[in-house]
Amino acid sequence: MTATQQRNPASGGGETRTINLIQAVTEALHEELERDERVVLFGEDVGARGGVFMATAGLQATFGKHRVFDTPLSEASIVGAAVGMAVRGLRPVAEIQFADYMGPGFDQIISQAAKIRYRSGGQFTAPMVIRTPSGGGVKGGHHHSQSPEAYYTHTPGLKVVMPSTPYDAKGLLKAAIRGEDPVIYFEPKRLYRASKGEVPVHDFTVKLGEAAIRREGSDLSLIGYGGVMPDLEKAADALGAEGVSVEVIDLRSLVPWDKDRVLTSVQKTGRAVLVSEAPRIGNFMGEVAYTIQEQAFDYLTAPVGQVAGFDTPYPYVQDKVYLPGPNRIVRACVQALNY
Amino acid sequence: MIQPFTAEPIQWVSESGVPVRDLPERFTPQLLRDLHALMLRAREFDRKLITLLRQGRTTFYAQSSGMEATQVGLARSIRVGHDWVWPYYRDHTLGLAMGVPMFELISQCLGSNSDPSRGRQMPHHFAAKRQNFVSISSSIASQVPPAAGNAMAQKYLGVDEITVCTFGDGATSEGDWHAGMNMAGAHQAPALFVCENNQWAISTHLRAQTASENIHIKAKAYGMPGFYVDGNDIVAVMEVCAHAAEWVRAGNGPALVECLTYRVGSHSNADADAEKHYRTREEVEEWLGRDPIVRIEKLLEHLGHPISAEERAQMIAQTHREVDEQVIQAEATGQPDWRIIFEDVYADMPGHLRDQEAQLRAEQEAGQEVRA
Repeated sequence: MTATQQRNPASGGGETRTINLIQAVTEALHEELERDERVVLFGEDVGARGGVFMATAGLQATFGKHRVFDTPLSEASIVGAAVGMAVRGLRPVAEIQFADYMGPGFDQIISQAAKIRYRSGGQFTAPMVIRTPSGGGVKGGHHHSQSPEAYYTHTPGLKVVMPSTPYDAKGLLKAAIRGEDPVIYFEPKRLYRASKGEVPVHDFTVKLGEAAIRREGSDLSLIGYGGVMPDLEKAADALGAEGVSVEVIDLRSLVPWDKDRVLTSVQKTGRAVLVSEAPRIGNFMGEVAYTIQEQAFDYLTAPVGQVAGFDTPYPYVQDKVYLPGPNRIVRACVQALNY
Repeated sequence: MIQPFTAEPIQWVSESGVPVRDLPERFTPQLLRDLHALMLRAREFDRKLITLLRQGRTTFYAQSSGMEATQVGLARSIRVGHDWVWPYYRDHTLGLAMGVPMFELISQCLGSNSDPSRGRQMPHHFAAKRQNFVSISSSIASQVPPAAGNAMAQKYLGVDEITVCTFGDGATSEGDWHAGMNMAGAHQAPALFVCENNQWAISTHLRAQTASENIHIKAKAYGMPGFYVDGNDIVAVMEVCAHAAEWVRAGNGPALVECLTYRVGSHSNADADAEKHYRTREEVEEWLGRDPIVRIEKLLEHLGHPISAEERAQMIAQTHREVDEQVIQAEATGQPDWRIIFEDVYADMPGHLRDQEAQLRAEQEAGQEVRA
């Protein structure tokens, strides 16, 4: 663990340490395995190897093969087994090696995990977490770079989260494991080591469904989640240098999402630009844009702007072009400001 | 000793009702009469529910006539309320034999307020917590990986339970079936997989389903024993399933039982005239000659404890009365309130669902017509 021990006013004055996002994931898993014997962790290569990104490194050695284990190479059986374990009383945390590989487990997610509470009238429930690295920017080609969150936000019964900071990664994951619902927990893989931040030493959780205001501003609301958040910050810096006051919001949770915080911000600034790296058609930000025009139309001084991935498969060589970087974000903001 | 991987289905009682192996002691005349009563009750339940369907009082029903020995036999081979069952959509006879109240089944088929699943699933897709009878899904074979996980959890918790997972022959073509079988095998989970091979997946015959000689031999590929049993012979089903269940319970890992049986009726009301489209009357007649209820009656006769025609008629009449009364009672409970739309989606209702519920409530209170 890295370690700058310091005081963090934001954590209520408790001790904090600076760690990166993947360390936060590992710590959350470690602490939850320690806290609750019902928690089990499994997937492809999560055991002795510790996962392809090393998110589960050392956990099998600490907690044993019955708590942290490898499975056959089958997303349908990983997700499906998690459903059965959850129904029988465990708290499974399943890892899908890449979000791009969730396809074979899709029916288990949408037909079983998402619906068993509803369809059984609450007689059976599946409190479980599916963790999976998501998004681009790591030269992974289309099978290691996609952002499939919209498929899952479209499925009632699932909660969907995507952190962008170590604090949120740890707090959201712990909350997801302790919750009573199935949670799809997307990890923006390009931030695994790039995102560093202070995390409390003491136990804490981050409630699902609450957005975070990364910086306050009065001219424009810049809203995103996951891997694009550092680019939102860079765009806000650039605009700030030109005298524009940008409010940056990190949704953190997509289902449920923090409508109130977004609307309050837009009502203050009158302008919104929504950023995500998923393809634009059916993008979750379409729901955010719709809600803004429905409930804050009178406050808008410009159309809601959107910066998204293109409606193409994810390209290998041109991934920096594909991703909505700071320049495209700034241009969308300028367009809104000059409307 | 019951052997896995036999060339022919294991049989205990011939089609003419004569034991072809020594009848185990536990099959007393009283037990055989109990089993007969359960099977007859399920058969007549089918008959009455088809009538309900024709009357338009329910919208879907998948009868299990012809398959009673398989489902009742399985129910009587496990520890009800102790073991867990991940069923498939034709398993109401299994449910009835496990003690799921007929009233709950009828309520579910009617989508009435007395349905424990709260009218959210299409008819015949029930769940019963007290019997650990987990909710039925329509997605074929999607119960198999969760059943493997359920069994893995039982192993992890160190409890003296097993998981039973049932499916039809068609399910064995699905990726989920192979994924679940493989998972259970790889993790040596205490799962008993039971294929209710009724030979037809709607209109697709087993021979068009797989080039495999039969289903149970596929168990070999997943490192578990596969048993092959005459699914219309309740004694054989109980002997083989009980043997396989004990083998699983003893910690040997999973097992597969293939019960060779036949659905004499249509798949559902969606193909009410099966003979016209995809199978012959001769084939159906042939299987009617192997009727599991007739077989146990012949066995009882052979043993000197026949069921009289009068007794049989009484049992049938009683089931019909019971169904009629319970349909009236279930219908009297009305339909679930509209609010159930929004409940049980999550453990606690999130804001967006509260908003949508409030919107619908406002429309209701304003007297606006909200039904399509």
